[in-house]
Amino acid sequence: MTMQPLYQALKAGFPIGELTEQRPDLAFITVPREQLRGLLLHLRDQEGFTHLVLLTAVDWIEEDRFQLTYLLHDRKGARDIGLRVMLPRQAVIEGAPMESIHDLWPTAATYQRELREMFGIDFPDSPGVNEDFILEGWREIPPYRRDFDTLKYSNETFAPRPGRESQDPAQYMKAQLYPDGA
Amino acid sequence: MSLSDVLSPFSAWKNLFRDPVSIPDPLNDRPGAPRYRGFHQNDIEKCIGCGTCEAICQNAAIDMVVVAEIATKPGDSGLRPRIDYGRCCWCALCVDVCMTSSLSMSNEYKWVDHDPEVFRFTPGIDLKHWDSTELGYRRPEGHRLTGNERVVMGELAPEARADSFVEIVAGYDLEQAKLEADRCVSCGLCVATCPTHMAVPEYIATIRDGDYEQGVRLLYQTNPFSNVCGRVCTHRCETSCAARHEGDPIAIRWLKRHIIDQVPHDRVKQIAAEGRVNEPSDHRVAIIGAGPAGLTAAFDLAKAGHGVTVFEALPAPGGMMRYGIPEYRLPYDKLDEDVDVIRSMGVEIRCNTRIGEDISIDQLREQHDTVLLAIGLHQGRSTRIPGSEHEDVVSAVELLRRITFGERFDVPKTVAVIGGGNVAMDIARSLARMQRQQHGQVGVTLVALEAEDLMLADREEIDEAREEGVVIIPSRGPRQCLIERDAVTGLETVHCVSVFDEQGRFAPKYDDSDIQVHDAGLVVEAIGQAADHVFLGESLTEALEWERNRIRIDADGHTSESWLWAAGDAVEGPDVITAVAAGHRIAASMMLAFAQKSGRE
Amino acid sequence: MAYQADRSQYPSRRPDGSLDIDLSSGKYLKLWQGPQHPGITGNMSVELTVCGDEVVEGKTHVGYLHRGFEKLMERRTFIQCFPIVCRICVPEPDFNEYCYAAAVEELAGLEVPERADWIRTLILEMGRINSYLMYLGGQAGALGQGVIGQWTTYVRDLMLDRFEELSGARIYHMFIMPGGVRDGLPDGFDQRMEETLREIESTLADVKDVMFNNAVFKKRTVGLGYIDPAIVDQYGVTGPTARAAGVAKDVRRDQPYLVYPQLDFEPVVGQDSDVFTRADVRRRDLLMSVDLIRQILARIPRSGAVMAPLPNVLHWKIPFGETYIRGECSRGEYGYYLVTDGSGYPRRVNVRGPSYTHAMALLERLIVNCNISDVAALMVSLHTYPPEIER
Repeated sequence: MTMQPLYQALKAGFPIGELTEQRPDLAFITVPREQLRGLLLHLRDQEGFTHLVLLTAVDWIEEDRFQLTYLLHDRKGARDIGLRVMLPRQAVIEGAPMESIHDLWPTAATYQRELREMFGIDFPDSPGVNEDFILEGWREIPPYRRDFDTLKYSNETFAPRPGRESQDPAQYMKAQLYPDGA
Repeated sequence: MSLSDVLSPFSAWKNLFRDPVSIPDPLNDRPGAPRYRGFHQNDIEKCIGCGTCEAICQNAAIDMVVVAEIATKPGDSGLRPRIDYGRCCWCALCVDVCMTSSLSMSNEYKWVDHDPEVFRFTPGIDLKHWDSTELGYRRPEGHRLTGNERVVMGELAPEARADSFVEIVAGYDLEQAKLEADRCVSCGLCVATCPTHMAVPEYIATIRDGDYEQGVRLLYQTNPFSNVCGRVCTHRCETSCAARHEGDPIAIRWLKRHIIDQVPHDRVKQIAAEGRVNEPSDHRVAIIGAGPAGLTAAFDLAKAGHGVTVFEALPAPGGMMRYGIPEYRLPYDKLDEDVDVIRSMGVEIRCNTRIGEDISIDQLREQHDTVLLAIGLHQGRSTRIPGSEHEDVVSAVELLRRITFGERFDVPKTVAVIGGGNVAMDIARSLARMQRQQHGQVGVTLVALEAEDLMLADREEIDEAREEGVVIIPSRGPRQCLIERDAVTGLETVHCVSVFDEQGRFAPKYDDSDIQVHDAGLVVEAIGQAADHVFLGESLTEALEWERNRIRIDADGHTSESWLWAAGDAVEGPDVITAVAAGHRIAASMMLAFAQKSGRE
Repeated sequence: MAYQADRSQYPSRRPDGSLDIDLSSGKYLKLWQGPQHPGITGNMSVELTVCGDEVVEGKTHVGYLHRGFEKLMERRTFIQCFPIVCRICVPEPDFNEYCYAAAVEELAGLEVPERADWIRTLILEMGRINSYLMYLGGQAGALGQGVIGQWTTYVRDLMLDRFEELSGARIYHMFIMPGGVRDGLPDGFDQRMEETLREIESTLADVKDVMFNNAVFKKRTVGLGYIDPAIVDQYGVTGPTARAAGVAKDVRRDQPYLVYPQLDFEPVVGQDSDVFTRADVRRRDLLMSVDLIRQILARIPRSGAVMAPLPNVLHWKIPFGETYIRGECSRGEYGYYLVTDGSGYPRRVNVRGPSYTHAMALLERLIVNCNISDVAALMVSLHTYPPEIER
């Protein structure tokens, strides 16, 4: 089994990027965001990808991009396809909206609400997208962004247990075996 | 819905007549399973304090702490892991990764106390009732998280190398080096054992990252002889390696060589010159002897902008690295590369310049602020047995020197070598090569005073010498050189029962009934070397403090004369890396003296 | 649950589709079920708007169990992630271990020994049994039938003993690690497992008599919480919840993993798609797991490696890549989406558990027009675990 025939069929109708075949039953394609809705509809209604498995984001902070991954499952064909949409990170942080797909899959609203909270990616049309999902009263930057430092936050928010101290074996040995510092 | 749906639920009443299933006394009647991951145990004698458990702990539950019971020694940091049960998640990764299998978990899981502080403890030190519990989680056999087999080093086969002085060791290729570097757990136990404290874990990391230029940079921070040490270092670091306890130690020496092999020589020079002081100081230093100690000091001093001149009696720099170590272990062009980097720092090396003949020690003193004596041990000691004064009874160092000079002298078909150290192996293997070239066969017999397992030479040297056809006979003491019609014909030896007496003093005991004669047209003595101090002259010799024929030095290598330092084999030994360490120490000491002097002025 | 004919009782809708509920009218009452409520599995709450004893709107609230696993993993090395993933789900932690390990293995190119695959399958089925046992207790308990929970807790405890002797731990086993599993089966394991399986079968027979063949249970659950098979894909419904609607989804058969292709089984399906059918599907699925464990123990290789040779885990780097690993857990499709960037740390891990859709969009839809007293039974019937929503 391969995803090539599907890819060739999609390519005929949509300007899409390269196919990454991870497994015979799993492939990823990068698609322009304008094509996303059309592709999702096509995959859902024509190609049997009726199940939205997940929708999540990856923060490529070094390249100033957010990746949105829409993973769709075709139960009859026992295969999955992941659509990657790359968003300009800085523009998204400044409020550039992303189109909601809750009308295609009602469950998408939950994913979009979480993405709004955890990454700060806005889906203005998604129902309840601005309601707190998991982080009630969160005041920091969206925490799943790469520039949110969990350790720093933890050190500033919680007190460490007193009396913890550790020695580096190499440094300690040098100090013990060569007390004059040689 | 039926009548049975109404009646069926009443069948639950049958349980009225069952015994309870709960355990009556769970605190005592419920031991953990044999594999249970309960409270930690640590065999503190086996533990080496490498901190790998701390490194892998994803909860940061482990601290390496000083414990009064354990002293730091090479290969053991003396630290022991302390575990915070406020953080531990009992995943046992610490047990899985433990380099010595000292850490394990008992099947005990009940521990009640009103004081939360006690739940932070050092297993094996803070004694617990489960310390000797037999059951509990031990790392399953074959379950290793760090890899334990050393990547095999390619070497010339004995038949391919036995008649040639071509380098034996091939060096790792990129993939092999990455694999070997991957095994290092970066604990750093090796660093303190290395006399010059090379940043071993860090430079090994550069191999994993493929950043060889950074590797060279790290090497040059502590050692300007990486080509040399990457080949012939005594690699005591590897005896401290945490990986050696349950597998082979990391091939630290070969990895060092791999780094320096990857970077073009000109680039190495640029990297070595980083941080060099460009404004010359007005301090001038004379260094006597272009061996590893002298040249290392020269490198440091010149890099700091001081004027350095090295005086070398022999035709080329390198000292014993060139004139003692055979070419098949250390090719001359590799030594030349290291020396070239040092020269490029602005060091002037005057070869064929013997102190006391070409220039006097007093002249040196007048023309320079400070002087370093790094003359090495170039005089072979003699056994002084009968017949040893014959001209065909020679010292190993002299013969090795002649081989380096390129003299292609005739080697007799049979040779006897006296001595069981690395120098004896070097000369035996060199002569075996020449015999094979000249006669097509090997006839070298090596006799050592020590028993097989106590011989001083490295095990691999002994094994390789045998592979090349050298006959090694341990536990033999030389009795006399046999001479017939003015020619050496053989060596007579006697069985040596023991080398040292009960006090550990050198006092060999012989069994006179066991005498052997080894055919030999040439007898080579390789029982040790001495320094030649004649050039110092009477007044300086008398002014200096001595200690058993060696000049007395302090921890910085300073002699009793304020202008004179001494280093290398002549004062401490025994190997290149120790000399390199001394060179650094002396350069630092001299520069401190310069600073103090200018501070006073 | 038939809609009341008189629509005037219900709140009208605003233009955007949301309900126009005027609390000051006195017609409606806000009622919070949870976050601590005996009828709720784990800590989560449902904000109910009721009209009389009928729910007109339900909103799921989570956030009580968020530990940020996905983020925590981004600052742990690949081996360091392995002990924390199981903590995402108490009743069935092993699925996290399996999915994470399989994702890492795929991206790192590790070949897992076959014996490890058998042991992994065994563990996953053991975990499934435990999860179902907890569920049965909860489902009966939600309707006030406490004794079922006592019985299933007892046999679950026996299974925890089997886990303990196999893995060295009872709840968080930390036994399936990237590369394979830690160890083989202990001596005498088969016999003790067989005794445990018999005890489970006997207990389940009692559960059938007392819980399922029970007029009260049937009266309360038949017809409750109907899920239209047509919305199964739309709402991402998977697992027994989907199978009870007649949709024969089972990853073990549809996209077989581990050694499932070598085992003999058919997905358990139901027809009526109500709370009763879902409970019954799970009961039968549990018995199928008992059978699968017997099949596994009859065929499992007794010698050979259980771990692939690992690189030094202290500086293990995995090349750039992304993958999704799914499996069939007791609640439905469980999956890990792993993205790597060539470093020693995951770039991103997304844990996708069935509760994410079941407890949110699906529950909010099903709960409308439900009777207050049925809310707990309905929620439990979706078999949701809040920690896998929040992670």
